[in-house]
This record gives sequence, C-alpha cells and structure tokens, in this order.
Amino acid sequence: MKQAPRIWACAAALLTAWPAYADMPVLTITGAVENAPVALTLDELLDLPQHQLTTSTTVTDGTPVFEGFLMRDLLDEVQAQGDMVVAYALNDYRMEIPVSDFVDFDVMGALSMDGMPLNPRDKGPVWIVYPRDDHRELQDIRFDTRWVWQLVSLHVQ
Amino acid sequence: MTDQGAVNTHNPWALYAPFLPVLLVFLGSLVFVLAKSSALERDMRIAATQNMLWVVTQTQMEVLSLTLAVAQPDRDDMQISQRFDLALSRLNLLMDGPQARYLEEIGHLAAVQDMSGALLSLDPLELGHSPDLHAALFDLGQDLHPQINRIANDVMTRDWDKSAARLDAYRATQRLIIAAVSFAFLAALAISWLLLRNQRRLHMTALEHMRAANLLEQERDVSAMYRDFAAIVSHQMRTPLSLIDSSMHRLARMGDDVAARDVEERRKIVGDAVGRLTRLVDTVLLLAKLDNDQLQARFAPLEMDHVVQSIMEEAQSRHPHRTLRLSCSGGSLVARGDRHLVGHIIDNLLSNALKYSPPDSPIELRVFTQGQDVACAVTDQGQGIAAQDRPYLFNRYFRGACEEVRAAGQGTGLGLALAQELAQLQGGRISFETWAGKGSVFTFWLPAMKKGGDHASD
Repeated sequence: MKQAPRIWACAAALLTAWPAYADMPVLTITGAVENAPVALTLDELLDLPQHQLTTSTTVTDGTPVFEGFLMRDLLDEVQAQGDMVVAYALNDYRMEIPVSDFVDFDVMGALSMDGMPLNPRDKGPVWIVYPRDDHRELQDIRFDTRWVWQLVSLHVQ
Repeated sequence: MTDQGAVNTHNPWALYAPFLPVLLVFLGSLVFVLAKSSALERDMRIAATQNMLWVVTQTQMEVLSLTLAVAQPDRDDMQISQRFDLALSRLNLLMDGPQARYLEEIGHLAAVQDMSGALLSLDPLELGHSPDLHAALFDLGQDLHPQINRIANDVMTRDWDKSAARLDAYRATQRLIIAAVSFAFLAALAISWLLLRNQRRLHMTALEHMRAANLLEQERDVSAMYRDFAAIVSHQMRTPLSLIDSSMHRLARMGDDVAARDVEERRKIVGDAVGRLTRLVDTVLLLAKLDNDQLQARFAPLEMDHVVQSIMEEAQSRHPHRTLRLSCSGGSLVARGDRHLVGHIIDNLLSNALKYSPPDSPIELRVFTQGQDVACAVTDQGQGIAAQDRPYLFNRYFRGACEEVRAAGQGTGLGLALAQELAQLQGGRISFETWAGKGSVFTFWLPAMKKGGDHASD
C-alpha cells in the first residue's frame, strides 16, 4: 500500500452537497479511548496517513481501488485501549471486531472507491475494508461480515 | 529353487509390476476424492457468502423506515434525508455486481432500476423538503413495498431451490467420494497383500539359499572327513609297517651272524608295531561299525578292578620302563558294560597318558565307585591340555596344537572321540581335568551293576 495523493477536490465539492456531513462529525469513537467520546469529522479522518488498497469484495465486481486510513492508525490516534471494537452502521448494523484484525492485517477505513468519495447513498462515508485478496484466510464469511459499511461509530472495549 | 514363487524372485519386475496398476487405482481414487471434496468446499464457501435474501429484506426495511419517517406528524427533515439515503444505498447495492446478476436471473433487475429512478426523482437534496414531497415519498413507499416483497419472495424460492439442488449435488458427490474411498481401501488391501506375498517369496528364496548352502557345507564336511580319515589312517599304518620292514632288513643283512639277542630285540620292535597296527585296525573297525549303526554292545557284569589290572599289565609289558600304579577303593566295583569296548576305552586313555607324559613320570590308575557309577581314573604328569584345545578334545580328527602332541608325531585324532562315543554307547562317559604343566586326569564313568539283578543279556 502506498500513500495516496490527496485528490480531494471532488470530495470537497460533494461535501458541500451534503451540508449535514460537512460540519458534522462522521465517526464517533466511544469506550476505552482518551477523552471519550471522540467525534471525528471527515477532515480529521483525511488528516490520518492515507493508504491505497486494491481488493475484490463480495458485493462488487472486479477489484476496486480503495483509499483511506488504516484502522490501527485511527485507534492509535485516539489512544484506544481494548481488545474488541464494536462497529455500528447508519442502519444500526452491529458487528464485533477483534483489535487483533487491525494488527494482523492492513484493515482500512475506506473513504473512497475507484477515486470516488464514498457517500451515504452508497457505502460511505466510511467502509471497513479488509485486504481480502492478499490473505486467503480473509476469504471467509466470518470476515466478510466485518466489512461494515456506512460506519458511524466505534465502541472500544 | 523348488518353490514356484521363489522362481519369480529372479525377476524383480515380476515382484513389483503388480504394484503399478494398484498404486494407480489407489492414488487415482485419492486424487479424485481430493478434487471432489475441494470443489465441494469451494461451492459451499461461495454459497455461504451469497446472502441475497438478507440484502432484499434490508432494502424492504429501509424503504419501510423511509415511509414511516415521512408519515410522522412531527416530520424531521434531517431524519428523512438520512432514511432516503439509506433506502437509496440499499437499492444501489442491489444494482451492483453480483446482486444485479442475481436479480437479472430472476427477472427483477429492471424493476429495481425503476424503483431507484422513481426514488431519485423525489430526491429531497435536489427538490428540498416540502409536505408535497413527503406525501409523494409516502405514496412511493406504499407502492414499492409490495414490489420488494415479491422480489424477496422470489429470492427465497430460488434460494430454496438452489439449496435443494446443491444438497442433491452434495449427496451425489458424497456417494462418489464414498465409492472412491472404497476403491482406495481395496487398492490399499491389494498393496498390503502384494507386499506380504513378496515378503513371503523373498523369505522362501532366502530359506532355499540357506538350505542349499547347508547341504553344500555338509557335503564338504563329509568329503573332508573321508579325506582326513584316509590320510590319517594310511599315515598311521605306514609308520609301524616301515618299522617292521626296517627290522626285517637288518636281520636279513646280518645273515648268519644273527644273535639271539638281536632277534629278541627285533621281535620286540615288530611286536610293538604289530600291536599298534592291531589297535589302529581295531579303532577303525569300531568307528566304521559305530557310524553304520552296526556296533552292538554285549553287556555283562564287569569287575572293573580286574579289567583295568589286565589292561595295565598288557601296557606294562609294552612299556617295561614306565611306572604304572593301580589302586582300588570302595566296595563292589562291578560295572555293566562290554568287555571288549571297555578294554578299548581304558587302553586308549592309558596309551594317551603314556604318550603325552615324560618317560620317567609315573602313571596312576584308580578304580573307585561314586554314586551309581564305577569310575576308572588315569592320571599322568604331562604338560596338561592347552585351554584353547579343551572344548574340542572329543571331536574327531582333532589333534592338539601344542608341541608335545606334534612331537609325538602320531595320533589319529580318532582315539578320544571314539572312546567317548563308545562310553556313551554303554551309558557312560569320559570326563577330564587338567592343570597346565602338572598333568591331566581322564576319568571313565560306567554305570554300576545293580545288586540282585543281572541284566547281562540285554
């Protein structure tokens, strides 16, 4: 994975189209983190080191290129202390993910797919993406359920 | 090589060729099972990740949530926008990649695209929130709900059909796998059988080889024995014969000048030689009879002290300058044996003692009883028997390696062996004790005659 160039002009344009997300936090982190709850805006997520990941998914064709931050970088940023993260989606989908996943694999909080920023009408603004093609053990239904899209909050425990 | 199987071992191809087809069946079955089961695993993995019913149901739920949100009396524009986005995102998901192909298969893709178009035509982001828009969204929700329900219904039916077909396929695969495993098992049995058969054949061959080698060895032994026998006996005969010959020549050369003393001297030499020849012939004859099972002992009660006495006197007359002493102890010294064979044994022991001890040393003979036996011990003061010779002392043709024996220049290697065999023939035995540099004791044991019973005739 390499640092993605910051090509967020169109992201900014789209964000103005969604005023609700422009000034509101898109991701809230609760539980065992410093100064919980931590609410992060899209800008703050974009300030994390950005990476690129190319992988197939179970719900799309081909191998889209994702760009975003690594989940472990995010947890480091908020000084999370815990073994488990509970991820919540916009539609109240709930999934428990062991923190070891983020250590063992370069799991990404994707913000764009194929150069297009993810938005709430798709799987955005944040989609948890696993490097499925790089590790055979990740090609498993038990990991597929952890690809939480429309991620809105994380609870560290 | 009398065994049919053993013949085949000459050709390794015959031993190992049958493995080839069996191995092929075995490995082929295993490869087939592996391929089938990994295909099964792949299929199950794909089946597990396809969860279309869940996606459709989620879409239905989001559309329902949107419908409810716009129907609320205190409508929240923010919440409606969010519900709108979620409903749209689910429709988008249905129109993406694998989901779109699935819907296409069951003929619902166009319907979903229409739904998405209809929803987007009421986008609050573009049109702005208004009671009219909310009313239109409510109507659309009412309209979409039964359509999505039908899609869910078809998806469920198709999934069940697919599951049933998949189960059928799994069952068929399972039967194939069981058949293949059975084949592999049979092949494994065949391999084991082949291995066992080969092992048995190789074993038989080894046995045959061993038997043949043994026979060869025996034949060699027999021919060596006869060679030794002939060589030794002829050598032993030549010595006394040449003694007789030379004595006669001396007498002949003397002509008329022959004195009575010369004749007496020669007569003694010739007598000795004839005695030796007689004993040698006796030994050979006894051996021949023994080997051909023609030797039958004539048992009689023997007063051993008298027997030994007469043999000793005979030996004394042959060796007038040697000191021979006889002592008898104990009560009845009557043994059961064959007079001729017993005489031969004691004479042999006494001759050996005389032969292998210094001329000035005495020979002791003792007759005594011990337990159920009457014993006759012959003690000499010779060099004793070397430790390495002791185990072979009673073997035929064995002659000691020590100088003394060599120096004696005689001995057939038959005497002691024959004596021991004759002793055993009469139910007795010969034992010995020896001390290096001091001498040896050879003891001939013979069962004592039982009192009151005379079995001399058996």
